[in-house]
Amino acid sequence: MHDLALQKPGLVGRMFRSLKLPLSDPFAVFGLAVYATFLLTAIFADAIAPYDPTEILYTPEYELASDLRPGEQGFILGTTSLGRDIFSQIVYGTRSALIIGITAAFMVALIGSVVGLVSGYFGGWVDAVLMRLADIAFGIPFLPFVIVLAAFLEPSIWNVVLAMALVLWRDTGRVIRSQVLTLRSRGYVDAARVCGSSDLKIILRHIAPNILPLSFLYGSIAIGWAILTEASISFLGFGDPQSISWGYMLQDAFASQALAKQAYYWFVPPGICIILVVSAGFFITRGYENLLFPKLGR
Amino acid sequence: MSHLKAVASRTLQLALVLWAVVTILFLMFRLMPGNPMAAYIDPTFTVEQQQALMAQFGLDKPLWEQYFIYLGNLLQGELGQSFRYREPVAERIFALLPNTLILTFSSLFVAYAFGILAGAYLAWRRGSAVENAAIPLVLMTRAMPEFWLGMVLLAVFSFWLGWFPAGGTRPAGADYDSLWALYTSRDFLSYLALPALTLAIYSQGLPLLLMRSNMLDVMKEDFVTMARIKGLSNWTVVVRHAARNALLPVMTSFAIAVGYQLQGNVVVESIFSWPGLGRELVNAVSASDYPLAQGAFLMIAVVVILMNLIADMLYALLDPRISHA
Amino acid sequence: MTANLLSVRDLKVSYRVGNGHIDAVDGASFDVPRGSIVGLVGESGCGKTTVARALTRVIADNARITGGQILFDGKDIAAIPERQMNALRWRDIAFIPQSAMNSLDPVYTVEYQLNEVLRRRGGLSAREARMRCESLFEMVGIEKGRLRDYPHQFSGGMRQRVAIALALALNPKLVIADEPVTALDVIVQRQILDQLRELQTMLGISVILVTHDISVVAYICDRTVVMYAGRVAEAGPMAGVLTRPAHPYTMGLRNAFPDLAGAASGTLTPIDGAPPNLAEPPPGCRFAPRCPFSIEVCSTESPPLAEIVPDHRVACHRASEAPVLREIAARTETWLAHA
Repeated sequence: MHDLALQKPGLVGRMFRSLKLPLSDPFAVFGLAVYATFLLTAIFADAIAPYDPTEILYTPEYELASDLRPGEQGFILGTTSLGRDIFSQIVYGTRSALIIGITAAFMVALIGSVVGLVSGYFGGWVDAVLMRLADIAFGIPFLPFVIVLAAFLEPSIWNVVLAMALVLWRDTGRVIRSQVLTLRSRGYVDAARVCGSSDLKIILRHIAPNILPLSFLYGSIAIGWAILTEASISFLGFGDPQSISWGYMLQDAFASQALAKQAYYWFVPPGICIILVVSAGFFITRGYENLLFPKLGR
Repeated sequence: MSHLKAVASRTLQLALVLWAVVTILFLMFRLMPGNPMAAYIDPTFTVEQQQALMAQFGLDKPLWEQYFIYLGNLLQGELGQSFRYREPVAERIFALLPNTLILTFSSLFVAYAFGILAGAYLAWRRGSAVENAAIPLVLMTRAMPEFWLGMVLLAVFSFWLGWFPAGGTRPAGADYDSLWALYTSRDFLSYLALPALTLAIYSQGLPLLLMRSNMLDVMKEDFVTMARIKGLSNWTVVVRHAARNALLPVMTSFAIAVGYQLQGNVVVESIFSWPGLGRELVNAVSASDYPLAQGAFLMIAVVVILMNLIADMLYALLDPRISHA
Repeated sequence: MTANLLSVRDLKVSYRVGNGHIDAVDGASFDVPRGSIVGLVGESGCGKTTVARALTRVIADNARITGGQILFDGKDIAAIPERQMNALRWRDIAFIPQSAMNSLDPVYTVEYQLNEVLRRRGGLSAREARMRCESLFEMVGIEKGRLRDYPHQFSGGMRQRVAIALALALNPKLVIADEPVTALDVIVQRQILDQLRELQTMLGISVILVTHDISVVAYICDRTVVMYAGRVAEAGPMAGVLTRPAHPYTMGLRNAFPDLAGAASGTLTPIDGAPPNLAEPPPGCRFAPRCPFSIEVCSTESPPLAEIVPDHRVACHRASEAPVLREIAARTETWLAHA
């Protein structure tokens, strides 16, 4: 037990270092800070949100607390037409956004990396088959695919994750594959093989560590994609009505005439939150690119 | 000659992709939970209508036979009957396609014109305060949900300022002699403005960032330095040599962007009640009008795949290193 | 009219790097007489390409001419306004780049690129430009049918001929050729150099030929300027400098290259070590750390460029002992022992 506890930070530290977080780029640091803020908000949502996001609220005069402006009756961002607290919805929306974003990104990065690794490392017919599959995935219009999938399956936030896992591995897969091909062309893989290392060992010891930053880079783009997709799907009414997400809030606002009522406090904050999380991913990506491909310059 | 061969093999490859997508679509609509018959037969049809459709799509036959009937029907442009509209899906889809294409192309032309100029400008002003502020801003526009941008524009320009109508393609009750008369009317343009602007703001980021980074690369090329040593004017150096070369991949990306844009249209068309393919897909799925949903999906997929092919050919056409190999 | 078309006096070019700067050219002086080919020779990083580019005043963004004069036809072109300088470019001073592949724009035909200078810079009409294109191609020995081809459709040697045609388009007085044959194989190198020589004689122009290859200088040049670490080590008539080198660096260079004409000249001995880091140049003679003949004064005092025989200048403290040093330098052990 003791040994494990001692070893653990070392391992985590090594993993952390091999991610090569771009801490010298101010925008990337901003992006990481945004991630951290939203992550904390999601974890402590129960403590931060003053109300249950689905609860219909009343004023002390026992009237429905509907369409209140920010600050009125102590509601920070006002209330919806059905008398729900907008601020609490934003806070809880962080949760579903991050759950979807992170799981989808993980799936995309994982599948893409495995496909890219296998394809690039083994080549031949394995490569040919996997790359034709990628071509097919590129031929599928993504958002329409998610809509049709969501229509057939039970409404759930996992539909977006499933659709992304089925289709969006294509970009990551291709990039990782070409990276693996470059790595292979540097002699040390052949050297390792001559020395009798097994394929699995070569992949894990020599190739995987070198593509980890790239996987992470594509993962952070995928987080943004997942959140945007979930928002679109919820907005179109194919989302899970049980879970409060930013996309659901926007759909609610749009359907409740918030535009005509000029209720900016209702539909602007969720949009800003989406922009912040998604662009945070972009900024981190950009920091990474400067780090990984310094010749591109700024 | 080898170039012609490359185009032929690429065409064949994309034909295979299209076949694969068609097959996936078939399986999705047949094997998904629920009654597979529902994909073609509206329960409110009369018994005779139901039986006619059963025969036409071979719904009483085994799956593999249904698949070949489905492929055969597709080849003849037969996509079934819409439940809601009681008319052939193909007709309905081809009637909506122009609306979608007009929206897509007008917004992309604006986006590319702006993006190319702004990208070249930012490359020229590399390292300046303008560039340092602009790049994060552009990245932010890429991070916006398109429909949210549409909502904000609607709230401001339509509901508050009242400059533009809130949705549709024409004033209520307005009638036009022909589609051409509609598309060239002033009203149509005012209806087109907001959805096209929404899509354009979202799309300008791609050509802008691409143009900028290409320009930065090309400006370091020897032939640009040589153009300066030749004493050519700054304009000639930057526009005729640097920009002309940097433009190549940007032009190619236009075709790819058309494909992506069609997918984004799904939400923006819904916001602005724009009668196009995307909105039709959403409505058809919501109303369980499966033949129509399938048809709209297929049409979008065909355009996406076709645009990938056009992108390849455009690149070959514009780059003499490939076209004059 | 002066005898020298170009006189470079004490030229200094420095690059801004981070917070500091590097004097890539630190007081170079040499002359280019009218109607001659001058070889500017030295190892990579010695500043020869920087000098060549400084003559056109199209230099890297972080580079600046910080001192000295460039007297072209009696006028100091280092000091004239950019507008006047630009008027001279290509009309009076043309350039043949190292790699014609990268220096021709890939998206235009060769004819377009010739026309561009002929019409925009030379003020020729469309008709005149077309005729000039044809005669230029004839001059460099390419059939005129290939005018409509794109750069990538030519072979390496052909592209270099195109670059020569381009340089001669406006009848310049001076052509600067920066490593014009480096990327080519030896047989093609000779063809291109022969052609360059022939055209230079025919047109009576002056050529500065920048090269790291002393055998190229021996093959074609009238005069040679040997540069080391941003300074001129030795300069004079080609035959004099190469047969009776007075600077140990020139002696070493001569041992390090095969003869372009193909005659075997014994074993090749490279000079050990590398040129100094110009961010912190050594005091005194910059070649001293690599020089087998260096004495105490060499590492403290910088030798001036002085005339040892008429028209032959050298910057070496032991220039007077040159005949003896040449004998010793001819032996391979000299350079090995030092290492």
